[in-house]
Amino acid sequence: MSDTILEKNKGCDCAKNGKNSCTMSRRQFLLASGATTFTVMVTMNAGTPQAKEVPAMVATYPRKFIAKLSELKQDEPVDFNYPDEDSFSESLLVKLGQESGGGVGPIKDVVAFNYTCTHQGGPLQETYKAETKSLGPCPLHLSTYDLTRHGILISGQAYQSLPQILLEVDGDDVYAVGVFGLIYGRYDNLKG
Amino acid sequence: MATPYYVPESNVPLPPKGADVISTACDYCIVACGYKVYRWPVNAQNGGPSAEENAFDADFPVEALGPWVAPNQHNIVLHNGQPHHVVIIPDKDTKHVNIDGDSSLRGGCIAQKCYNPQTPTRDRLKTPLMRIYGTLMPVPWDLALDVAAEVGNHVIKKHGTNAYGVKTFSYQYIENTYAISKYALRHVNTANFTFHDTPSDVSSTPGFRDAGFDNFAPAYEDWRDAETLLICGTDPYETKTILFTQWIMRGIENGQKAIFMVPRRTAGVAYAEKNGGLYLDVTPGTDLLVVNAIARLIVENGWEDSEWIKKWVNNKWESSSGFGQGTRNTPWQWRTTWGKFQTKGFEDWKEWLLAQDEFKLKNASEVSGVDAKKIKLAAEWMGKPRKTGARPKTSIMIEKGFYWSNNTGNTQAISALGIICGCGGRPGQVIGRAGGHQRGGVKGGKYPRNKSPEKLPGRRRRAMDTDRYLISGHTRFAHVIGTTWIQSMCGTQQLADKFEELTVSNPHQIRSFDKDEIVKTLNARADSGGMVVINQDIYLQDPIANRYADIVFPAATWGEEDFIRANGERRLRLYQKFYDAPGAAKPDWWIIAQLAKRMGFDGFDWKNSNEVAEEASRFTRGSRKDFFMVKVAAHREGKTLHQKMREFGTDGIQGPVIMTDSGELKGTKRLHDTQRSLPAEGAAGANVFNKKLTHFNSQTGKCNIQKSPWSLFSDYWEWMKPKDDELWCTSGRINERWQSGFDDRRRPYIVQRWPENWVEIHPDDAKKRGIESGDYVMVYSERVAGQKNTIVGVEGDDFQFSSLLKNGHIELTEAAITAVAMVTPAVKKNVMYMDFLHMQQPANALEGRVVDWISGNYNYKMGVGKIKKLGASPYKHQFRTMSFAPRDIA
Repeated sequence: MSDTILEKNKGCDCAKNGKNSCTMSRRQFLLASGATTFTVMVTMNAGTPQAKEVPAMVATYPRKFIAKLSELKQDEPVDFNYPDEDSFSESLLVKLGQESGGGVGPIKDVVAFNYTCTHQGGPLQETYKAETKSLGPCPLHLSTYDLTRHGILISGQAYQSLPQILLEVDGDDVYAVGVFGLIYGRYDNLKG
Repeated sequence: MATPYYVPESNVPLPPKGADVISTACDYCIVACGYKVYRWPVNAQNGGPSAEENAFDADFPVEALGPWVAPNQHNIVLHNGQPHHVVIIPDKDTKHVNIDGDSSLRGGCIAQKCYNPQTPTRDRLKTPLMRIYGTLMPVPWDLALDVAAEVGNHVIKKHGTNAYGVKTFSYQYIENTYAISKYALRHVNTANFTFHDTPSDVSSTPGFRDAGFDNFAPAYEDWRDAETLLICGTDPYETKTILFTQWIMRGIENGQKAIFMVPRRTAGVAYAEKNGGLYLDVTPGTDLLVVNAIARLIVENGWEDSEWIKKWVNNKWESSSGFGQGTRNTPWQWRTTWGKFQTKGFEDWKEWLLAQDEFKLKNASEVSGVDAKKIKLAAEWMGKPRKTGARPKTSIMIEKGFYWSNNTGNTQAISALGIICGCGGRPGQVIGRAGGHQRGGVKGGKYPRNKSPEKLPGRRRRAMDTDRYLISGHTRFAHVIGTTWIQSMCGTQQLADKFEELTVSNPHQIRSFDKDEIVKTLNARADSGGMVVINQDIYLQDPIANRYADIVFPAATWGEEDFIRANGERRLRLYQKFYDAPGAAKPDWWIIAQLAKRMGFDGFDWKNSNEVAEEASRFTRGSRKDFFMVKVAAHREGKTLHQKMREFGTDGIQGPVIMTDSGELKGTKRLHDTQRSLPAEGAAGANVFNKKLTHFNSQTGKCNIQKSPWSLFSDYWEWMKPKDDELWCTSGRINERWQSGFDDRRRPYIVQRWPENWVEIHPDDAKKRGIESGDYVMVYSERVAGQKNTIVGVEGDDFQFSSLLKNGHIELTEAAITAVAMVTPAVKKNVMYMDFLHMQQPANALEGRVVDWISGNYNYKMGVGKIKKLGASPYKHQFRTMSFAPRDIA
């Protein structure tokens, strides 16, 4: 399988197929980190006359409006649910005041993460710490996460970083458009 | 090593109904949490999200604490040659250890340990290797074993048994340690033998040994049930996670007063402090002063547990004569009868304690850098009776930061403090080690101490310092099993220089494909004063195998063979095989057996690991891991020992195991259990009731209360104390990595978190040197002390550091390692702290290679160094790798 990274929106037919937005592969998120929309294309039937490029829909995330950039106050998290309203969808958007991994906005300091500890599902709501730009410690087993660095584990027991919500900015509007990493409790971010 | 990049998954396969479920325990820290392996063929359908569709009987999304599967908990392995999915998660049904299915990050991701050629585990050793024309080339087992055996026999015959050195893990499962020690001690019978964490085969905690305390007497529930808990030299949250999260944290939630004595504040310390605990921020090496200051405050106030002392402390007659310590030619016998430590009992000890000015609160506080008020508070919490007259239930936990700083002194001092606080042998009132690795050692032979050249003053022999012996050029054949040796030992860089000189720099190198020529060449190497190195391991470790070994044997490990091991509360479990070892890799017991047979030794005809375990069981009788009666029960039921152990699942059974009259197996919750009643008629059948079940490990079964003179160590401490621009340089574990990182270096997420070694430095110290978090720094020393001569001790203080220095037995060398700076007030001012075992940037390079002169252990945590900025590391401004946020956020 060969991934072809196309320029912004080129070859994208998401409007046609009724989807809210293009999605990104994980690899692209790594490469593009904080950039706006790309579409991963996969060549099907490569080397045959039937070869054609189609979007590689690893998962189809909704595009959801979260907040207005101009209304965000530094270190004051905005809570929202994503990618759905189901269990473990609670997430936060926060303007950290310093450039951060995956950040959007003029100084790339606006980031969003899922609120559920990726160790054993402890709730991280109300644990944001402005001085360290961190979430945690988790009330269950004390894991802490660095929000400036893609939600990497600072100290603790989690099996992976906190799932980062991929953001997109359109004018003053901030949209959630994807999730980077499996959300606790689920076997598939979009299937529960 | 290239950085394997971490790309998180956003889905994971679930085990279907009918997947094989195999119980095991974690391979890593002392706690050994129970795990379940779910295995199903890749061509079978995966499980679904509803309870009817998966092996967990759970609906997805699962609840908090439920059987969630993180992508790092899935892997694909070969089982009977066929690819299978495995999902490995903590056992959600277990009643012990990791109750409620808790896990650390290390064990939580243990599925990533399994060999899978599509992951960074692809470089597992799969065939034996031999260095031919300077390159390690694959060779068949027969050739590798034949050459090793022939050269080994030649070395023993021509240069003596002590020329055959064995440096081995002490813990990688009882089947392997039994086979290795049977080979090395009973058959080769070499005194050039020691374990991965010490230059000499000696007790890790001499003070405990002398007092009569087993290192692992307590049950995990005791750490929870203590009302005051003093934890010295470790933060269990960082290093033995579940012991903290499931036991100590529960205690703190119930009002336990936790006191941490460490030079560095991490998450567990921060949690304790937030919940009313105490942090004694001790300067490296000064623990003894704080401990004795606490003891002094306790006896000055009459807070000691007099009833306990009356009943359980030896008087002069009991400790010295009559029921004395025997022939006095073993290390613990002489220590307990040597005037420096021995007392006539509690009153004599008290008199000595009160006569030592250095233990006065003011002095102890000044030298240790711990606030006097906090020391006083600690004494009150540990000893002061309540208004009702009831004593606090006090327990003491120690670990390496403590006992590897002033090995003999600290462990003597803490034992005495434990005794006067009544720690020992009662629920919630215990003293013991927290533990590092798991307990998988069974000795199949006796260490031949009389063959050791180490002779201390008097007629006392101590086990050989194998590093010094090697550096002196006496080791002609180094058989290295599952340890890095070089980076694990102090003065790493000097040791590496010697390995280089004795191996690859020797002119006798294999340049032939003829077996006899190969043997001749290696024999000539040994005869010329050089050294032949053979190494058994699961990965090609650098430099021991990669640069120095002539022959490398590929070992099979966790999950690739059925093995038995115990945890920190002596809980024995079967760690089951659930997938095929890579290539031709074989378990260590098998490798040893093949070698032993070729060398002409008998008793190595085992067909499988169960046969080794059954033979080993006899040698556990009376020990803390005694599982002999499990074998008796198994055979009675027509089962093998491994089959019987398998039935215990993740619950296991706590050693020593005894059999009741009705034939039922009964484990031992805690050792020294003074409230336990054993059958009045004594041990029946094959049972052994060792004294340690209900009493302490001394001749009388009571404790020896001993002195702990600061002067035996203070000359070394004063010499080492930072001068000019130096800082203390100490080291220890970090939660996310295990040992040398042999598995973690192959886990992309962990590599992203900790790509290199790092050094914590206080903001004041950093500012002076212009260092910021994320900077590359050089940590270096111009005076790493190395003890170079093996001398015969005559005068009492011949081995005291100042005498060695004066008499020219210490050489000073330089050392330097790079690291990434982490500036944080969590580390004490004037102290640097690093990960203890990074292969490329080993902290031990800076630690003095001078053994504790009483015990023979290294004081690994004692070092000094300077630090200077080199420039920014790539991690300083990139967001994907490392984090410089503090680890003590509460």
